[in-house]
Amino acid sequence: MQKKKTALSIPMMLITILLACSTGYPGVTPEILLGARGIASMNLDYTAAGGEETVSDFSDTSLLVGFRQKLYSNYRGALVIGFQFPDEGSRLEPILFHQVFLRVEDRSNIFKIGRTRVRSAMIEFPTLRDDDAIDFTDILNPFSSGEDTEDNQYGNIVEATRIFGQRYRLSAYGEHLRNENEASTKDFGFNALGISFQYRVPESQRWNREVLNQIGISLNTALTDRPGYSGLDKSLKSITFSTVLNIRPDPVHFWDLRHQSIFNMGFSETKAVTDYADLTRARSFSTFTSIRYLYRKLERPAVQAALSYGYKTFPDLTNSSSQHRLIANGFYRLGANFDAGLQVGYLKNTGDLKAFAGEHETEVQFALIYSIEQLWNSQFDDRESLLNLEHGYIP
Amino acid sequence: MTRRDFLITSAALSAATLLPGSLFAETTKKENSERFPRQLEPVMEGDVKTFRLFIDIHQQELVPGVRIHTLAFNNQVPGPEIRVNRGDKVKVYFKNKTELNHTIHWHGMHVPWRMDGVPYITQMPVMSGQEFVYEFVAEPYGTHFYHCHWGTLLHMQSGMYGSLIVEDPDDPIKKRFPYEREYTLLYSAHDLNFLRNELNAMLERMKERLYLVRNGRFDKERFAVFDSKEELEGAVRKGYQPPYVVSRRAPAELAQPFWFTVNGKSYPSTPNLYIREGESIRVRLINSGTEEHSLHLHGHDFWLVCDDGLPLPQPWQMNTMRLSPGKTLDIIIEGKNRGIWTFHDHDTRRVTNNGLYPGGNLMALVYEDLPEEERRVMPMKGMNNLIPKVALDE
Repeated sequence: MQKKKTALSIPMMLITILLACSTGYPGVTPEILLGARGIASMNLDYTAAGGEETVSDFSDTSLLVGFRQKLYSNYRGALVIGFQFPDEGSRLEPILFHQVFLRVEDRSNIFKIGRTRVRSAMIEFPTLRDDDAIDFTDILNPFSSGEDTEDNQYGNIVEATRIFGQRYRLSAYGEHLRNENEASTKDFGFNALGISFQYRVPESQRWNREVLNQIGISLNTALTDRPGYSGLDKSLKSITFSTVLNIRPDPVHFWDLRHQSIFNMGFSETKAVTDYADLTRARSFSTFTSIRYLYRKLERPAVQAALSYGYKTFPDLTNSSSQHRLIANGFYRLGANFDAGLQVGYLKNTGDLKAFAGEHETEVQFALIYSIEQLWNSQFDDRESLLNLEHGYIP
Repeated sequence: MTRRDFLITSAALSAATLLPGSLFAETTKKENSERFPRQLEPVMEGDVKTFRLFIDIHQQELVPGVRIHTLAFNNQVPGPEIRVNRGDKVKVYFKNKTELNHTIHWHGMHVPWRMDGVPYITQMPVMSGQEFVYEFVAEPYGTHFYHCHWGTLLHMQSGMYGSLIVEDPDDPIKKRFPYEREYTLLYSAHDLNFLRNELNAMLERMKERLYLVRNGRFDKERFAVFDSKEELEGAVRKGYQPPYVVSRRAPAELAQPFWFTVNGKSYPSTPNLYIREGESIRVRLINSGTEEHSLHLHGHDFWLVCDDGLPLPQPWQMNTMRLSPGKTLDIIIEGKNRGIWTFHDHDTRRVTNNGLYPGGNLMALVYEDLPEEERRVMPMKGMNNLIPKVALDE
């Protein structure tokens, strides 16, 4: 009993000391970062069942606030809090806190914990909204009902990254993907694990004229229940490969190509897709490729046009099934940080997907986009600034 | 910070630098001698004194633990001292090893106008990898300096300045105030956030521009350079907005310096001025920064002998002088009151580092022949073992 009492009193004492130490001394003011993105679009949908019009869609509009400061031993600590408005008709709350995480990092290590973007995709594509082609660009969350695309994008994550030679990143992460049944099961532990390795040219060095801008591979495992199986065989495994190539790294007329393939090893017993669980568990191969042209006037983006195509096939289904996605869009800069955009998307499903998700859909979106990023109380440099990359790192 | 914390902090810093025991050590004096600009030795080409300067990005430690990226002539901040005689033929080979543009302006020198270093006015900028040769005859006599004239605010704050001393064998100052030792002090002030953010932004822009230049696509709008007013007006009609092209990329506010350096260092790494009783020393003061300094010497009146390098018809005695940006002043300090005396900016905001006192351009005039028994401050009851040994309170 005495021992237990001692064990309890030490943490209490530490807390008391920490609190005492933090009073009466001036605080270190942090860097404060504000990021905001507003997307409002008028959508016109044409499906096999007829047309549908959404006058105003402001989903994916988000606000981010970040705080960052130096720690001891050349480390830095950061807190990011952000929320966004989910898709129209979502079952989520009207406001989703999609980013709530803390990060500790030094020159070569990053440790991150909290809610943020899960590692279901390795790169981003030039679409109006991040989830415009989510069936092709992300590993789908097998614990989701499929009602909310945010289930595939955001979750709780613990991630450790090691950076080698400025451009190579090895990451290992555990995730809690949003689970439809978590309210009843009260299970908030890891339900996905993964590892990734990638080569990536820092943004600040994009005019170094290198053709290969990014290449990476990841292995993700969702810790699913699979009746009749045990151990790793119970889990749903996916392999992702991505690359970004600068076709023409010209500062005025810039062209690049982005590609990502996801091989979902699936469950061999899933032979038909009748619901979302089947869709996520069926063996599949998806690929998504974008080619983008960016015209920059006076060193700022002025016009961007992109054409993207996605293809997904399900080799184990009894019914030969596939999905095709074509997206064309263009953006014109109306002023600093403010763009107008037009996007046309076409989706075609065959086989089981036709019955499950409709035969085809055409969507036309006219959008206004406003995005800003503002830093106050700047104190230190980014790891990937040109000074730090090319002229010696200063912690 | 409480007053007690403040005193303890001040005391600890004082102990590290001005503790008498360490001030008089030979190793301290040797280290101190390296806190002044290093002289660049000329190579004779016939009757011409030639010097080689290059510019590169370098890391400078302002005080222990605070390092910044700088633009440094010959990897030194300030750049090496060029010292010539009046009337010498001088040639300076200037090599640009950075990806930024630069020039050298010879501040206070009567050079031929095409050697004056003002980009697009007297010369084209010295672009990445290029070399430019400056040639002039060293006139007039006195304390002058050189600095970059491209992106002057950023490049000078980043460290692109150095002293240029034109000597005269028949030196009028030396005649009136015989001296053996002299010191050069270059003052500057730095907004480290401005330096870091703008250097990064400029490096990034230049990568982009050099890509175009290498492909034979020099874009006048990108460089904000036009051959004629008509050309500028034509660009404006096509959407070019001159006042905003730069400022839209620039920080929201003008640079607000919060680090103050002498010879590229802040207290406690600033140099000390050593003197002996009965000796006169000459101190050449150059303000290569953007802030005005009100420099005050304790315990002495000094002679102001030169202004902008020019000998004053009548030297003035004073103990506080105003050193404006771009100004050079020469003073003579006579060793008439032995001790250890502070020499600092009396705008005490400039004797801080990042807002914390003591720091900045705080320095000391040290009598190196101070008798042993006078090398300790007067003892105070209960503070025998507590520093400060030297008062830093102005």
